[in-house]
Amino acid sequence: MTSSKEINLPKKIVEFGAHHPINQTKDFIVSFLESLGFEIVDGPEIETEEFNFDMLNIKKTHPARQMHDTFYVNNKFSVLRTHTSPVQVRSMLENKPPIAFISGGKVYRKDDDATHLPMFHQVEGIYVSEDVNFSHLKDLIYKIIHHLFDNTVQLRFRPSYFPFTEPSAEVDILSKDGKWLEILGCGIVNPIVLDNCNIDSSKFSGLAFGLGVERIAMLKYGVNDIREFYKSNLDFLSQFK
Amino acid sequence: MKFLYDSIVRRILSKPSISEISDKLFQLGHEHEINDGVFEMEFTPNRGDCLSVIGILRDLRAFYEVDINFDTYDGEIDNLKIDFQNKAKHACNTISFLKVEIEDDRPYCGVLKNYFDEMDVNKNNFFTDISNYISYETGQPTHCYDEKTLGRVFSLDIVNDDHSFLSLLDKEITITGSNLVFLKKGKVINLAGVIGDKRTSCTSNTKSVIIECAHFLPEEIIGKSVQYDIKSDAAHKFERGVDPLCHEYVLKRFLKVVEENSTIKNVQLFSENNNQVKEHLIPLNVNTINKILGTELQEKECISYISKLGFVIEGGLIKTPSYRNDIKTLNDIAEEIARIIGYDNIPLSTFSIPFNKKTRPCIKEDKIRSILIDNGFYEVINNPFVVDNTSTSIHVDNPLDSNRAFIRESLMNSLIKNLESNEKRQKDSIKFFEIANVHSCSNNNISIKKSLCLIAGGREGKNYNEFSKNITQDYLKELLYELLLENDVNFIEISRENISSKSKYPVFALEILIDDVSDSIKEYKPIFPKPIKFKQYKQISLYPSINRDISFSIDRIELLDILQDLIISCKYEILKDKFIFDFFENKKLNIIKVGVRFIFQDSLKTLTDNDVDEVLREIITKFLEIDGIQIPGLK
Repeated sequence: MTSSKEINLPKKIVEFGAHHPINQTKDFIVSFLESLGFEIVDGPEIETEEFNFDMLNIKKTHPARQMHDTFYVNNKFSVLRTHTSPVQVRSMLENKPPIAFISGGKVYRKDDDATHLPMFHQVEGIYVSEDVNFSHLKDLIYKIIHHLFDNTVQLRFRPSYFPFTEPSAEVDILSKDGKWLEILGCGIVNPIVLDNCNIDSSKFSGLAFGLGVERIAMLKYGVNDIREFYKSNLDFLSQFK
Repeated sequence: MKFLYDSIVRRILSKPSISEISDKLFQLGHEHEINDGVFEMEFTPNRGDCLSVIGILRDLRAFYEVDINFDTYDGEIDNLKIDFQNKAKHACNTISFLKVEIEDDRPYCGVLKNYFDEMDVNKNNFFTDISNYISYETGQPTHCYDEKTLGRVFSLDIVNDDHSFLSLLDKEITITGSNLVFLKKGKVINLAGVIGDKRTSCTSNTKSVIIECAHFLPEEIIGKSVQYDIKSDAAHKFERGVDPLCHEYVLKRFLKVVEENSTIKNVQLFSENNNQVKEHLIPLNVNTINKILGTELQEKECISYISKLGFVIEGGLIKTPSYRNDIKTLNDIAEEIARIIGYDNIPLSTFSIPFNKKTRPCIKEDKIRSILIDNGFYEVINNPFVVDNTSTSIHVDNPLDSNRAFIRESLMNSLIKNLESNEKRQKDSIKFFEIANVHSCSNNNISIKKSLCLIAGGREGKNYNEFSKNITQDYLKELLYELLLENDVNFIEISRENISSKSKYPVFALEILIDDVSDSIKEYKPIFPKPIKFKQYKQISLYPSINRDISFSIDRIELLDILQDLIISCKYEILKDKFIFDFFENKKLNIIKVGVRFIFQDSLKTLTDNDVDEVLREIITKFLEIDGIQIPGLK
């Protein structure tokens, strides 16, 4: 409240700071998914190969497991998680279906160039229940994309490959300049993964999806260079109030 | 992987256009770009079978009538007598060696000529060129040895000791650890499935060749090309899996291309097949397929779709083709069907989560963020890879470089670097915080803790009350009272020796575990809500800014609001910021002075005094139009 002494003073501009744009974007996605009924779960950033790869049906021969793609730590004792999917594995092991979880956070891959960083953020979700199918997944993805962009945005589903989902898809949106931009990956949870997590795959099925937060943030804010997010430049950060 | 449109379309009866094929390839999940009639493909790692013209054509059979029966050699083939010992049968269960002797070679014609003319591929020598073409067409890598230098006695084995050899790309390679290799008299002549040595490779003089055609286990090949920094198309294919049953066809096709471009004198074959490839059978269950996809397909439709891709259905069982090592379950079959239908053509069914929604408990982290942001702090996110380490630091086995070989145990140094880089950009009031996990390790037990670190230095703020005061420990304690309520914490003053910048003001920092922050902050009500709209980012200027301070004098207090409104209404492309940084009122003398700072910066150039003066003149003129506002001393 303004005291009587301050009546004749100029308006004091109280400067407030800002959430990091990546966290703002992550929270925007997470809040929407929470509103659909997903529950937030969290997990460690340093993982075992078992949870990061084996449980997710990522075979020893998969290129992602190579030293040039994954950061190994403490004499190959552990890995820096390459995705937030191991959080979902842990959650499936601890809970019985039906389940609906989302996890968001930092992930690590051995990349470092103008379009890839060794650390970035993902939001992933999984829903396991009876009779979950690809057409449900499509509806959910439409809901997410329409919330992130707008109801008129055009999207397409393309077949893709993730060892933990089958069928797998990547989803593109049509940008204003007529180019298709990849937005997220998704699919029907591979029954092998359900079985690995002690979920009866003959009774339950699941859908899963994952978004790269930086990608969405770049599109939403119009940032062209992903590296800008991590330079901690005050002129940059102060724009996201 | 590149493919010529011509290589593909000439085998398709209806001759679809390049854009039509492009659409179909996208529908099938094969990403690509098209440049001058060449498809630059990017296949997913499970589709090793597509890494060839035949592979692409096999998939396009889903939509077109396609001829994949290429001409093959139908002459006689004698037995090849060699003393070959396969000591690594588990890693290579099928292998053939084909000896071909030619009289001469001629200018390339037919498919070979088209390949080299249109694909912009370098030529090597006759047999290596055909080997490369055959790999492009069939997906099966072959390796060509000069018969004279190879001889008749050699073996395949896994070696565990170091060996060196000069590769056919003239690069000295030293292999270490376990490697699958071909050996002659104890010396490595070929890193199996990756690259051969120069000594035994073909040259332009080679007239008698031994062609190796093998099926190597992906596990034995994977990672080798990266480990030894070798660009190898063969390794790329073997890593993803090749067709174990294609050798006879591939070698006969090889011979046919030789025959088209030369005169064959004699052909001899040695073949070793140690393992009968088992048929992979999947029970056909249309109900399950419909349950996976959310469709209502009939059995006939399903059979029709997958038959087009080479699957054979007999007695309710789906027999997968030998080249489809990625197909194991009905989910895989469902995906094959969905690819042909088109993912976009699968209908939508309403998604909803029917069970009880759990409400998110109040998260302490969110409240900490709110308190800090309400008090002018900006959130930063830093990379966890650092060079500083202690005995408990976690070491990255394969870091990007030696400066990023450890995982940080504290956030403090990252924030000091953030402050330093901003001081170098003329920032004189910095308040940053970061919330992140910190990691350490003791006796292989990894400890993960969530930490909050904040750092602040420079002016308290840019309003008239705070502009001339530097941030102190007491200021921070008062400012962050809600956060530090029950904590007896002391900010540490960071020594200027640790900060490489010209600024002199004191810098304070605090690092605290989230768990140690009082739970009472959960009651905190944020002042500034998170933005709900995504504002469009404006490119940051790389050019220096220019500050201009003007002291306005007003003759009555009522003009203060007008002055402030005028300041707010100043909008110019190069005017980046403006604020009242000083206020002085002497009621006895009826003097009111208001100090205003204008900050100018251009996104495209370094501003000159003239650029700034021009805008500043316009601003001043507007201000002086108001009766009672003056700028003392203005000439």
